[in-house]
Amino acid sequence: MSHAKAEQPQPATGATLIVGVGLSVAFLLLIALLNVVKSGNLLSETNLLYTTLIFYAGAGALYLGFGVTGTEAYVKFASIATWLGLIANTGAIAHRWYEAGHPPFASVYEMLLSFVWTLAVLTLVAEKKYDVKVIGTVTMPVAIVGVVLMQLLRTDVHPLVPALQSTWLHVHVTLAMFAYAACALSFALAMMFLIQDNMKTETFLAVTSATTVAIYAGVVLTRFEKWGGLSLTAWNPESKSEIFISKGVRLFVTVPDLGWLMLLALLVVASPLVFYGLARFRNNYGFIALANRAVFLSILLQIMTLIMFVLRARDASYPSLDAEGLFPTSLAASPFILSGLVGGVFISLLYLLLLWRRPDLERLLPTTDNLDRITYKTICLAFPLLTLMIASGAYWANQTWGSYWSWDPKETWAAITWLVYAGYLHMRITRGWRGRRAAYFAILGFAVVMFTFFGVTYLLPGLHAYA
Amino acid sequence: MELNKKGFTHKLWRTIASIQTGVVLLILVVIFAAVGTIVLQRPATDPDEMQTAYSPQVLSILDALRLTDVFHSWWFLGLVVLVSLSIIAASIDRFPNAWRYFSRPYKYPDPTFRRALHPQRTIAISNSDEESGLVAAERALHSIGLKPERVIREDHFGIFAERHRISEMAVYIVHASLLLIFSGWIIDGVYGWRGTLTLNEGQSSNVVELRDGKTRTLPYAIRCDSAGQENYKDGTPKKWWSKLAVVEGGRDVKSKEIVVNDPLLYRGVRFYQSSFGETAKVQKLVISATPNPAFKSSSTLAALNSSRQNPNSDPDNIKEIAFTVGDTADLDTDTSLRFAEFIPDYAVRDGQVYKRSNEIGSPAAHLVVTSKRAGKSFDVWFPKLEEIADNSQAPYLLEPKNLQLAHFTGLQVSHEPGQWGIWSGVVLMGIGLTFVFYVVHVRFWALPVRDAKTGALSLWIGGSANRNRDAFEQRFNDLAASVEEELKTNSLTALREQVVTAAGN
Repeated sequence: MSHAKAEQPQPATGATLIVGVGLSVAFLLLIALLNVVKSGNLLSETNLLYTTLIFYAGAGALYLGFGVTGTEAYVKFASIATWLGLIANTGAIAHRWYEAGHPPFASVYEMLLSFVWTLAVLTLVAEKKYDVKVIGTVTMPVAIVGVVLMQLLRTDVHPLVPALQSTWLHVHVTLAMFAYAACALSFALAMMFLIQDNMKTETFLAVTSATTVAIYAGVVLTRFEKWGGLSLTAWNPESKSEIFISKGVRLFVTVPDLGWLMLLALLVVASPLVFYGLARFRNNYGFIALANRAVFLSILLQIMTLIMFVLRARDASYPSLDAEGLFPTSLAASPFILSGLVGGVFISLLYLLLLWRRPDLERLLPTTDNLDRITYKTICLAFPLLTLMIASGAYWANQTWGSYWSWDPKETWAAITWLVYAGYLHMRITRGWRGRRAAYFAILGFAVVMFTFFGVTYLLPGLHAYA
Repeated sequence: MELNKKGFTHKLWRTIASIQTGVVLLILVVIFAAVGTIVLQRPATDPDEMQTAYSPQVLSILDALRLTDVFHSWWFLGLVVLVSLSIIAASIDRFPNAWRYFSRPYKYPDPTFRRALHPQRTIAISNSDEESGLVAAERALHSIGLKPERVIREDHFGIFAERHRISEMAVYIVHASLLLIFSGWIIDGVYGWRGTLTLNEGQSSNVVELRDGKTRTLPYAIRCDSAGQENYKDGTPKKWWSKLAVVEGGRDVKSKEIVVNDPLLYRGVRFYQSSFGETAKVQKLVISATPNPAFKSSSTLAALNSSRQNPNSDPDNIKEIAFTVGDTADLDTDTSLRFAEFIPDYAVRDGQVYKRSNEIGSPAAHLVVTSKRAGKSFDVWFPKLEEIADNSQAPYLLEPKNLQLAHFTGLQVSHEPGQWGIWSGVVLMGIGLTFVFYVVHVRFWALPVRDAKTGALSLWIGGSANRNRDAFEQRFNDLAASVEEELKTNSLTALREQVVTAAGN
């Protein structure tokens, strides 16, 4: 049925898209609402967070609405919604701080809270000061993914383990959040630059498809079990933590049939890339139109996968391959898969926005020269922050573990991030790199940041296990 | 030959100093560092874990290439040394120019420079009035907080003003700071060491176990007087503390209560609180003893005797005894109780109790109850070990109440003589980066120029900034506008003065 709709001319697909986006936003809000009902206390942190989500999601929806209809007023309202969301976000941080008695930087949840806040602030700065009106189209989805993740991760105030009781920790993590938010903004600006620099829409098609393929391929390759199951980390709802078989070895449960759905989603998500490849090698432009339709279809399937995933993985018990009996799992046990799925939907939606509303975007964006310069400025902000972040982390480690540098994966990747941006600055200052090459570099830098922030925590264990 | 050699060294120098070499080296560092986070590293990973993760062939290749300990391998250190050399060479190569620029500021712009400079502005002034033009420029520069100076070249005056010349040196500050950090790191790699020291309460030691399995003997000993843990309400640890004393030449020279994040420092060696736990050493075992009604031997008489001797004592009276391994306590005049042994981690096989390890696992206590009159000893085990001993045979029924084990404190010990290089490098880098990104060297020149053809006099103003040029252009335009404004008011005043003088005449 969805395929039949995709065959129709564009306005109709637009309407379907609105329904799709509306449904997914409503679904996210429902999760938030469930939390409110559970808490029963209206002016609590959960509800402030819920308000934050409503406004950020509203801002995101308005940006997308602008994408579908091309009405510029939407952008203005989106900006207002961001402001309101920021106020609620500030409230949530203040509440958390007051309740915990320490600045909110001790867990992934608290760090996301600060990260989203910084991102919203920088978005508004870019919008007001540098007139990059549609920057929120890229940054708001990132913020929404952050807030949705927060809804699922543990929210209890945890006392700090001895190693984390240091002012330097707060300095270190604050700087990290500021630096990473600045990197995210420079990434968004570099993307805008590429749009304004007349990079072909097909190239964006290839890149966005490749990213979603990477997400689903990652899930399928690491989690697909025999006979179509999907293995997820088991979750102990009482202690709100993962279940370990032995030290460092997690217990996995297998959710039946979800693996097949992921595999199907992978194939559908990969189809635009295949069509793109055909278009390139056969030199037949007709395949691009097919690829665009395939993107549309993949969004519908991605949303379906996301809903199925949330429904199946939300507080249920499944058998495990490693142990006898049923074990519970929860969405909180799989934050990375979830954010990957949500992220995939947004990435594909952003591509459609570009496909349909490119002229409007180009009209609203500053000139390439300005975008190039603002990207550089954000990196000039991010780089010293990264430096100080690493330095304060080293100082803290020296006080806690007796060594300022132990080459644990997070440290090493932070250093790699620093080197990538140092490379960017050298090429720009001494070699005069401008424009596309600089933009690619900024994008690479943010990719490394994302890997340091999520990938290292998830894939490479080390001393930073607290985070 | 001589020339060739010179050509070669020159070429080598150019290669080392080039930015391409620097970038290639940085990319190599990035790649190998990334590999070091993906391949499991020794000694952080257990040898067993390494063997399950990789097949023997792969492991031997990884080991041969030092890929299992990338960050301590000679080639990674070599790479860092090469990066340092490249930074030094690039800095030396570019420094003289920058230094000339810095130490001899360019104060009087010649015609070529004037033609090429952007931004610049030419403002017409009255033909005879060089001085008023210069004054107007000086005032305008003063008003934006600069200190203009007059520069004389032959018979001409020029004006020069600048701010933050140090910004030209900022890149070298950053590079120097990087070298400081590297050198600190290398000093630590060569002269520094790191190890652990585990002390039980009351124990002292001067032998540190290093990370490569060797030991190091300190010229002084560390004694742990007491150690403890505080918990949050939910049972997670809140604080670990140890009271340490440094013993040198037989007396305490320093003492400190250390906690996580607050080490003890003595003669360049730091002692950090890193772990805390219970040892296999019993501090106190509390036992309750009740006379056993089922014990039918002559010792029952003794028990009766003893109760007769002491009319206050009830036969059901429960005695509590606290003792430690090796202690003997009297239960009554006839019966004594000895704490024979404590096994931290026991296993039973073939009717024998074995010690499985020295760590606290499943602990067992062995007590011996001896009755003199019966001339018999009874083994009592906690927990009850049916195949070893029947606890109910003993003249007393014993029940364990409390077991307190001595604490140990785990200390990280480190000596990092190079860390001051690191911290001063970090501070210097902070300063350098601030100058690189946020401190702009701005320069302004003003001088009266005469058109070669018409002979008309005008005031030429030019400006330059080493970064953030758009913002600077705005500032320059404002400055030029204010000079024009000054000139207008000047000429008005001059006009008025002329009028006044004319009227006076």
